[in-house]
Amino acid sequence: MSTLLKMHGICKSYGSVQANRDIDLTVPQGRIVGLLGENGSGKSTLMKVLFGMVRPDGGSITFKGNLLAQHTPREAIAAGIGMIHQHFMLVEAMTVTENVMLGWERVGHWLRPNDTAEMIRTASKTYGLDLDPHAMIGELPFGQRQRVEIMKLILRGADLLILDEPTSNLSPPEVAGLLGVMRRLREEGHSVIFISHKLGEVLEICDEVVVLRDGQAIGRCAVEGATRADLARMMVGREIGTSAHRAEREAGTETLVVSRLSRFDAAGVERLREVSFSLRAGEILAVAGVDGNGQADLVEVIAGLKAATRGSITLGGKDITGLRVGGRLALGLAYIPVDRASTSLVPDMTIEDNIALRDFDRAPLCHGYTLDKAAFRELAISRIAQFDIRAIGPDAPVRTLSGGNQQKIVVAREIGRGPRVLLAYQPTWGLDPGATRFVIDQILALRDAGGAILYISSELEEVLMLGDRIGVMYNGRLSSLVSREDVNVTRIGLMMAGADEGSQLRSGAAS
Amino acid sequence: MDSTAFVELLAASVRIATPLLFASLGGILSERAGTFAVGLEGMMLAGAFGGAVTSFVFASPALGLAVSALSGAGLGAVVAVATARFRADQMVTGLAVNIVAVGITSFLLRGMFNGQAPVIQLPTLASLPVPYLAQLPVIGQVLFHQPALTYAALILTLPMYFFLMKTREGLTLRAVGENPAAAFAAGADPIRVRMAAIIAGGALAGLGGAVLSLQEVGTFTDGMTNGRGYLALAAIIVGRWMPLGTMLGCLLFGATTALELRIQGWGLPVSSYVIQMMPYLIALAVLAGMGRGARLPAAIGTAFTRS
Amino acid sequence: MALRRDDAALSQDRDTITKAVDDGPVKTRRRGLRGAFVGPGGLRMALLAAAAVALAFAVTAMLILVAGKNPLLAYWALFTGAFGSLDRIAFALNKCTPYILTGVGVALCFRAKVINVGGEGQIAVGGLATSWVALNLSSLPSALLIAAALVAGAVAGAAWAACAAAIRLKRGVHEVLCTLLLNFVGTLLVSEALNGPMGELGAGFPQSPMFVDAAWLPRLLPGTDLHMGIIIAVIAVLAGHVLLWRTPFGFRLRLLGSSNSAAAYAGASFEHGFLGVMLIAGGLAGVAGGVEVLGVHYRLIEGFSQGFGFNAVAIALLAAATPAAVLPAGLFFGFLDAGALAMQREVGIPSSLVFVIQGLTMVFVLCAMGIGMKQQRV
Repeated sequence: MSTLLKMHGICKSYGSVQANRDIDLTVPQGRIVGLLGENGSGKSTLMKVLFGMVRPDGGSITFKGNLLAQHTPREAIAAGIGMIHQHFMLVEAMTVTENVMLGWERVGHWLRPNDTAEMIRTASKTYGLDLDPHAMIGELPFGQRQRVEIMKLILRGADLLILDEPTSNLSPPEVAGLLGVMRRLREEGHSVIFISHKLGEVLEICDEVVVLRDGQAIGRCAVEGATRADLARMMVGREIGTSAHRAEREAGTETLVVSRLSRFDAAGVERLREVSFSLRAGEILAVAGVDGNGQADLVEVIAGLKAATRGSITLGGKDITGLRVGGRLALGLAYIPVDRASTSLVPDMTIEDNIALRDFDRAPLCHGYTLDKAAFRELAISRIAQFDIRAIGPDAPVRTLSGGNQQKIVVAREIGRGPRVLLAYQPTWGLDPGATRFVIDQILALRDAGGAILYISSELEEVLMLGDRIGVMYNGRLSSLVSREDVNVTRIGLMMAGADEGSQLRSGAAS
Repeated sequence: MDSTAFVELLAASVRIATPLLFASLGGILSERAGTFAVGLEGMMLAGAFGGAVTSFVFASPALGLAVSALSGAGLGAVVAVATARFRADQMVTGLAVNIVAVGITSFLLRGMFNGQAPVIQLPTLASLPVPYLAQLPVIGQVLFHQPALTYAALILTLPMYFFLMKTREGLTLRAVGENPAAAFAAGADPIRVRMAAIIAGGALAGLGGAVLSLQEVGTFTDGMTNGRGYLALAAIIVGRWMPLGTMLGCLLFGATTALELRIQGWGLPVSSYVIQMMPYLIALAVLAGMGRGARLPAAIGTAFTRS
Repeated sequence: MALRRDDAALSQDRDTITKAVDDGPVKTRRRGLRGAFVGPGGLRMALLAAAAVALAFAVTAMLILVAGKNPLLAYWALFTGAFGSLDRIAFALNKCTPYILTGVGVALCFRAKVINVGGEGQIAVGGLATSWVALNLSSLPSALLIAAALVAGAVAGAAWAACAAAIRLKRGVHEVLCTLLLNFVGTLLVSEALNGPMGELGAGFPQSPMFVDAAWLPRLLPGTDLHMGIIIAVIAVLAGHVLLWRTPFGFRLRLLGSSNSAAAYAGASFEHGFLGVMLIAGGLAGVAGGVEVLGVHYRLIEGFSQGFGFNAVAIALLAAATPAAVLPAGLFFGFLDAGALAMQREVGIPSSLVFVIQGLTMVFVLCAMGIGMKQQRV
């Protein structure tokens, strides 16, 4: 079995963050290698290095016996490496054939779509892709579009295909189809790097698995004989940090009740599946899970930015399922989104205006038809002091502040209004440890004061540190909730990777 | 209205639609590559001016045509650089260029001739009947008894279609208009492609203007395009950004203009102003009817940046 | 530390520019006009505007040279034509009035990322309504007559803008196309009216009968032509300023103009903001039309609305969509127009040159905005 790819000693840092630390990766010919790891483990960076999108700080890459260095994606493609990105490079208004012909020198000046269509049909049969060359991309479901991207790689002669989290947006039958395609690829002599955080799929399709954690290759083993527990432990195992000071509390009354919330997105993919839980005053419900499993949809539906297809939400006894954002704000709902750049803050507005962002049309900031600028100012000054925001003054534009201070503004605004329910989605994203600490302390303080908090993060430490009750989101479903005393890290890891009893994958039951 | 008048109306419609057709074919290139062709009005006007003045000074319609294309292309270059290179807003840049065109043509008309606008009176280009085919009943007069440039415009629809839909360059151009990132990933340079499309479109629009001043009217007057560029834009949308559909749209607008010119003689109780409104109202109605179903090139209006 | 954000942003929303950061080598961005009106520093914006104007003058100077004339002479004539005497200043200020009025409305639209180029049609329709009132309710006392006429103009202009807004909201047709096409229809409506019920019989030109004295806008400075329209314009500027910065509605406009997701997050509805700002802009343009017929022409006359709409767009751009800055920008354009006529009379340079200056100014400002000169307060 010849070696197709050998990456040795790859290092890459972004500032103080070491994304890749001396990573080795070998891919034999005709094999599927799984790359397993959480958010931030370094998988994406490693693949970008391989594909030439990013230059490593150290290490070497040998592909088909040739050294690959300082290369661009086009050179990588020419060498025989193909990568399927999360966002497809497809033109929706064109057919499959036209998309394949785009940028492909072989087709010549006068397009002969029929010839290309023939090629597509042949390859489609060989690899089980089942593509109609004349279908319009815009009408194809996600899974089929992915196959068009695979088709492009195959026709351009890729020997190694990199699939980055390819199943995140696929329905179960589509996942099965994709795994079938991957088998055919292997039979035809291609190699595949399959990046995923989903244990079940990795165990099902891969020949070997490499586990990354915190930028390092923790382990590498053949799939045969590996157990889910082993892999989960490798993927997730870490010291649990000392928990922050937290007062013991009896949880109070039920404040937020979510019942059988479901949501299909615009493309018809089911994003939320029958999510139900209740949140009580004075407790933090912390939800772990890898990005893309429905967390964003959950908070946005509860916050009022997106609509649920089914199910109901009750706040303090009132049904808010159909209520608009303003109404929910008035009832005491607060929301810290993950996106500071353009959702929770308007970077070019002043600090003052941003603090007023959600309450500007209510007293005391607004009287009748005029804004009370003095009240704006007063509020801003008090929040700046209260939350120790480092800024020149209340009319500095927010974009001049550091990330940590910007998030303090969001926190100051949302928590400062003394909400009954706070939705926090990755509130510490992109923050340094000091700012992270601050946010966490504030949230704990809100909890102690009687607020009910839904805290969603892909950072397991935070979840474990903060949650009174802990759950995991996987594939749009919320697992059963565990209280913090009963939590078991390995079990959480399994749940995050979809390998727990509650969330079965399709064929191939729990092993 | 008797049949001869009707046939004559049809023939006039085709002739009057010619400037629109050139302009809208040029606009299709620009729009398909992702840039709103709001500047067609100005490019037509520049072409009308360039064509008329050159023809007047050098007594050569052929040279006039060449200069008209260059004039249109020149304005197109301004739009191209501003929108593709500097990422200026496409709609408003087009409007600005139209304003500049009015000013520059009006100014040069007087400025180049010592402050006094010359009286330009050119013989309008004559009809060229096609042997045999011109004798056919109805169709003969409508389609085969037209001036040369009208034939050119009608014929141009075909190669334009082939270019867009059947060549690799056309595929790339359309991809740039739909998803420049994908086109870039496939090896194209969206900025270059857009600029080329806008300039080529401007040349065609300039020719359209020349048709107006050389074939239709025989002179140049300030602002003589009078909104035709916007009608060409509407025709593109009506024709769903395809050459054939656009041609039909232009014929429709040509017909309404032809109608308006003749309506006086028919004593209909409809005011001529209302008739003049028709093209715009029809365009609005069609646009509204198409609504969100109007499949614009997906990336139109967005600036492309590498990052 | 998480290095990658949630990629649930697979939504087709064209206005979402916050895609995950590390998604491949290229990214298309829809910034457009929105990208310009951001950031603090009114001074830098003013400098930018001045630079664009200067560049436009420079390019135009070259054009004048091509025509064999002296640019300095031309510009001097321009200047004296605008400022040379009290009479001339009064004339210029009259010219500024419709620009300022319409410009404020367009500026407010730009703030919400709305491109309203329908000024010409809205002015035409506004003038039409004003004229109707002036002609048919002529027995009213002067103050009441003028007030009623102007209100009618505002309502008509707002209604005209509402037509375009409705097509945009209901059918998704871009507002530029709607307002643009309706311009032609609006001006033709005026012609139609002048050809029929409101025309003056026997006049060689499509125009209405002259209004009664009571309908004429009073003069501000006796002995000059300056009418009180300029006061209305200044009031509009102040009102626009207050609206934008001191009311919840204005706050919402600014939110809509900065980011769709932030606007949604803050509970600002696009539909309400869009319709509201279009109505305001239409109303202001309608008043501009009314002021023109009541203060300058004293009758409804064909073509009176020509050119104002696009110039208002240019002015709003130059003012970086700030109502307060529309005043100097509008003054600039108005004085430019006035001076141009004098320049044509005295030096023989066609006044149409001014269009070149105005258009080029727009182009240069747009280029600067396009490459992201973020300079001013949102």
